[in-house]
Amino acid sequence: MSNGIRVAALDDIPEGEGISIDRTVTGTDDDIALLRDDDGSVWALNNTCTHAEASLAEGWVEDGYVECPLHSSKFCLKTGTVQGLPATRDAVAHRIEVRDGDVYLFPHKRP
Amino acid sequence: MVTRVVVAGGGIAGVSTVSALRAGGFAGDLTLVDAGEFPYDRPPLSKDYLAGRTELKSIALQTPQWFDDQRVRLITEASIATLRTDLGAVELGDGTIVAADRVVLATGGRASRPPIAGANSPRIHVLRTAEDAERLRAALVPGARVLIVGGGLIGAEVASTGSALGCEVVLSDPVWPPLGRAFGSEVAAWLHGMHETQGVTTVHAPVEAFEDAEDGIRVTLAGEDAPRIFDAALLAVGMAPETALAESAGLRVDGGIVVDAGLVTSNPAVLAVGDAARRCDDGVLARRSEHWEAAQLDGQRAAATILGVAPPADTAPWFWTDRYGVHVEVVGELGHAKQFADRGVLGEPPFSVFAMDSGRVVGAVSVDDPTAVRAARRMIDRALTIDPAQLSDAATDLRKLVRGRPTEGTI
Repeated sequence: MSNGIRVAALDDIPEGEGISIDRTVTGTDDDIALLRDDDGSVWALNNTCTHAEASLAEGWVEDGYVECPLHSSKFCLKTGTVQGLPATRDAVAHRIEVRDGDVYLFPHKRP
Repeated sequence: MVTRVVVAGGGIAGVSTVSALRAGGFAGDLTLVDAGEFPYDRPPLSKDYLAGRTELKSIALQTPQWFDDQRVRLITEASIATLRTDLGAVELGDGTIVAADRVVLATGGRASRPPIAGANSPRIHVLRTAEDAERLRAALVPGARVLIVGGGLIGAEVASTGSALGCEVVLSDPVWPPLGRAFGSEVAAWLHGMHETQGVTTVHAPVEAFEDAEDGIRVTLAGEDAPRIFDAALLAVGMAPETALAESAGLRVDGGIVVDAGLVTSNPAVLAVGDAARRCDDGVLARRSEHWEAAQLDGQRAAATILGVAPPADTAPWFWTDRYGVHVEVVGELGHAKQFADRGVLGEPPFSVFAMDSGRVVGAVSVDDPTAVRAARRMIDRALTIDPAQLSDAATDLRKLVRGRPTEGTI
């Protein structure tokens, strides 16, 4: 685990978008959303919005935030901190490392 | 210097106001007065909460801990009786005086009750509060004959919830299709048509009279000889802003508490936000928005006014609704556009429709295609020139049409 879990190739995630990684791969309670900001950086949050059944991987990623596709609550990519109602709870953020074009996840480690 | 703010009403506008004040660095006393047990979110009242799929605590707008952490004094099951602007205070219903340099009225609205004979029957419902939803839920038992008067957002959502609960639902609206201005007429017609395909009967006649009977409530619809009989009826014909407190304080009220762009009323110490407020810019009264996000933004703007900082940027109005398992979103204005660009096939979700004017997107509606509306919002807010053919081309990545493009004008 010390090297993380390889969860995707960096090229699998278009800038400004996200993909979801199944919890059977990550061993986490929830699926993991890998979210790529428009500057190319990659971040990982629990995939299910903390407000309702929606996949953050299908959200709009821009300027350090992902916007939920259902009710538009925004979460900070880096910390998972919620920025706007209707969600009231922060999303869980996980550490990501990119090595040789591959994305590695460190579940429950701080980004 | 403003050191004490009292907010009247714990809906989204009121909670957004206190939240934005603290986020903006307001360090003074902050009090939120609300009639309910605690501030809760209202959109679920016609959907999951009405269906009994979620409890009230789960739709709280903020947790009790949050109010503590934010040092917001929450006074629940209470209301403000009088604005004592002479004292720089408000007086609660029980006579308690709370000092306030600024008062923010987030008093929301009441369900409209049209003057129809017999409309005070206990079988008649409205839907604004959790208590209303609980009372209505008790009536939505399998097999119940339910009439919904009004095919707007709330009426349509309750029709969906009620039919899923096994009720025999009839939806009546004299307008066909309802919400044509909100969705654009084609999408409105398709959405309204969903009622029939989902087993709800739609009729296009106004109600002339209600009459209580032993076995239910008799309803006379215009143009029908015999009354129909129902177990329950919901009046979903819009809302009336709650302005009594403002009126008694002598504030200017005209179809809402009249406010300027900074949400300040005719009394500079009093602001108004959300459903109760009505903007007046350069002497022209605007339509009240009555949508969730507009109320949230009002709270943020009012907080900016109190803090003396720049307000959040203007953005195109947005709302969502859910019925029969589809998620619908609208941004901007669709009602007046002359040119439309369809993305996908209208009636086969996911699809969306963009409204265009002079090479710019002015509105969009999406069904199970929220990315289209998020893209459209940025196109509108940044006044981008867009080729409608690109919008209709399924191969176009809408995010790429927007990303990296700076603002080209103002909305």
